Amino acid sequence: MRRNNIRPGGGQAESDGGERRSSAGTDRSEQGGARRRRDAEPSRVKRSPLKRLSALMAAAALTGSLLAGCAGRESAAESGGSGGGAEQQGDVKLVIGAYSVVKDSVQDIIPLFQQKWKEETGQTVTFEESYEASGTQARAIAGGFEADVTLLSLEGDIDKLTKAGLVNENWKDKPDGGMITRSVVAIGTREGNPLGIKNFADLAKPGVKVLYPNPKTSGGAQWDINAIYGAGLKESERRTGQKDPAFAKTFLESVHANIESLDKSGRASMAAFEYGVGDALVTYENELAARIKQGAKYEVVVPDDTILIENPAAVVDANVDKHGTREAAEAFLDFLWSAEAQRVFADNGFRPTDPEVYAEFESSYPVPPGLFDIQYLGGWSEVREKLYSKRGVWYEVLAGI
Amino acid sequence: MQTSWLRHKGWTYGFRSTVLLYFVVLIVLPIAGVYVYSFSEGWGPFWENVSDPIAWKAVLLTLKLALVATVINVLIGTMIAWVLVRYRFPGRTVLNSLVDLPFALPTAVGGLMILLLLGPNSWVGGIAEKFGFDIVFHQPAIVIAMVFVTFPFVIRAIQPLLEEMDASAEEASYTLGASRATTFFRVILPQIAPGIAGGAMLAFSRALAEFGAVVLVAGNIPAKTLTASVFIYGEVESDNNLGAAAVSVLLLTLSLGILWLINRVQRRGGRN
Repeated sequence: MRRNNIRPGGGQAESDGGERRSSAGTDRSEQGGARRRRDAEPSRVKRSPLKRLSALMAAAALTGSLLAGCAGRESAAESGGSGGGAEQQGDVKLVIGAYSVVKDSVQDIIPLFQQKWKEETGQTVTFEESYEASGTQARAIAGGFEADVTLLSLEGDIDKLTKAGLVNENWKDKPDGGMITRSVVAIGTREGNPLGIKNFADLAKPGVKVLYPNPKTSGGAQWDINAIYGAGLKESERRTGQKDPAFAKTFLESVHANIESLDKSGRASMAAFEYGVGDALVTYENELAARIKQGAKYEVVVPDDTILIENPAAVVDANVDKHGTREAAEAFLDFLWSAEAQRVFADNGFRPTDPEVYAEFESSYPVPPGLFDIQYLGGWSEVREKLYSKRGVWYEVLAGI
Repeated sequence: MQTSWLRHKGWTYGFRSTVLLYFVVLIVLPIAGVYVYSFSEGWGPFWENVSDPIAWKAVLLTLKLALVATVINVLIGTMIAWVLVRYRFPGRTVLNSLVDLPFALPTAVGGLMILLLLGPNSWVGGIAEKFGFDIVFHQPAIVIAMVFVTFPFVIRAIQPLLEEMDASAEEASYTLGASRATTFFRVILPQIAPGIAGGAMLAFSRALAEFGAVVLVAGNIPAKTLTASVFIYGEVESDNNLGAAAVSVLLLTLSLGILWLINRVQRRGGRN
């Protein structure tokens, strides 16, 4: 895996992630400061009455934020302890607009960053966070939600922001081409894998009930379809020596013939699966890992031929310039590539982009032999054009043409 | 005479125009907006979106399933209204107030309950599966979801008619030797028919538009379990607003036609 440079977390912040998390957790207090935002959605801001009380009440506030965490998508303002200290040019507030799956990771990383920033500059950074499906989030930011930093599930959603003139074209100049995490598309089966599913071709066998979300309603599901389509291309390459799009389409159709439910989102697919529907579901490895961590029962099958998922993050240039938060926003973005943050991602089921952190987790995340990336399918613009355009391959598969 | 300004005609006009303005802003503008938007690029793109097989099959499927749901609601709703009005039993008032609950519950919660109660892990779903009959994520679940969210309409439309019904006509029918069935079909049914029709049509148009519960319990597979509302949602999510608007127009026009019919039917019922 390619790698440009590694950014170590600053100075003393290099301690064990777990310990740090818990200590930082206590001074997380809910500030009712989430003044937001799109009127299309009812505000889910939880205002804590403990607003300005000191550290004594912080534990209670943490309970509050845990309760708030029950809401599927939410926005909560989190702040570091209001302990004071030498404030330099006031405090900074960063608004994060992210996709739902990284929520746990981001909430673990924020206290680490707050501590580091405090040590380096004396400033207190407060955060407002919003978590939505990636496409919805991108549309919200393009439509005026003033996020400073955005984490989205696919490049195409950042492209929506560059098109809207909010993110500079050079966002990919960051390490790893602007990608903060990786994952692969995997298959989740019932415990013990009773049907012996090993790869995407097995999903096409008669009687296998398959679940995956519809890329039309969930942009992130494009990865799933790309994986199946790409596995078809790989197969054709093995048989005839060259990539055959027609074969790949037939391959996708044969899997799609077994579809039991085309869900609204990856989460909806998993919910259906956990209600007992279907034999196998196609989703991200990290999504499965997150659910297994929460006690759901899955068997994770990583097919030999599957796609490498890369998730980008970027500073929303137009908004940081407007808010005057560029310095902190850039620092937070860079912090996402630090070993500490990468370790948090790895703990939450992502494959870290940092090679050293990856080495620590290599046994949990073996590289499948036939792994390919989006370039194998011709890059995002070609994939969007050929697969997901109005009369593209996916449309034809859906409509049965 | 000092108060004559209170009776000035201006007040009535003012009141009327305020109400009308409210109606226009809240109802007419958004709906007109959808129509205008869907034709904003002319007939060509509109037709292209509507003639997409995925789109029109979704609309057709929705019509079919909404019709089934309405028929079920008419049959069961009439019976429930009958029982609630004609019989006295403990818990009647409680049951009566429970009827409206589907309106108060977020429809997504209704969908979730259907998943829980009828899913493959539940005993109903388990038995059905043994007989090779899928409920959840297939058409039956969509119908059940539609029946659930439109449950109160028929009942609430019939109840007042049943309550106000003149008992003497019914008694006369029995006295003249008519059987119970004859009495029901010749005397009672004609009196509650406008209520049934009105309730059924409201239920039908509401079922057409149902999204929250359906998206959870349907498999959303084109031509099989993809309803129009979920299709529209997908078009919005994939940035094809024009397609979403075009199919919305199709649904809206159908609903408008149905509501117009309700008005016709009810006016005729009133004249009788």
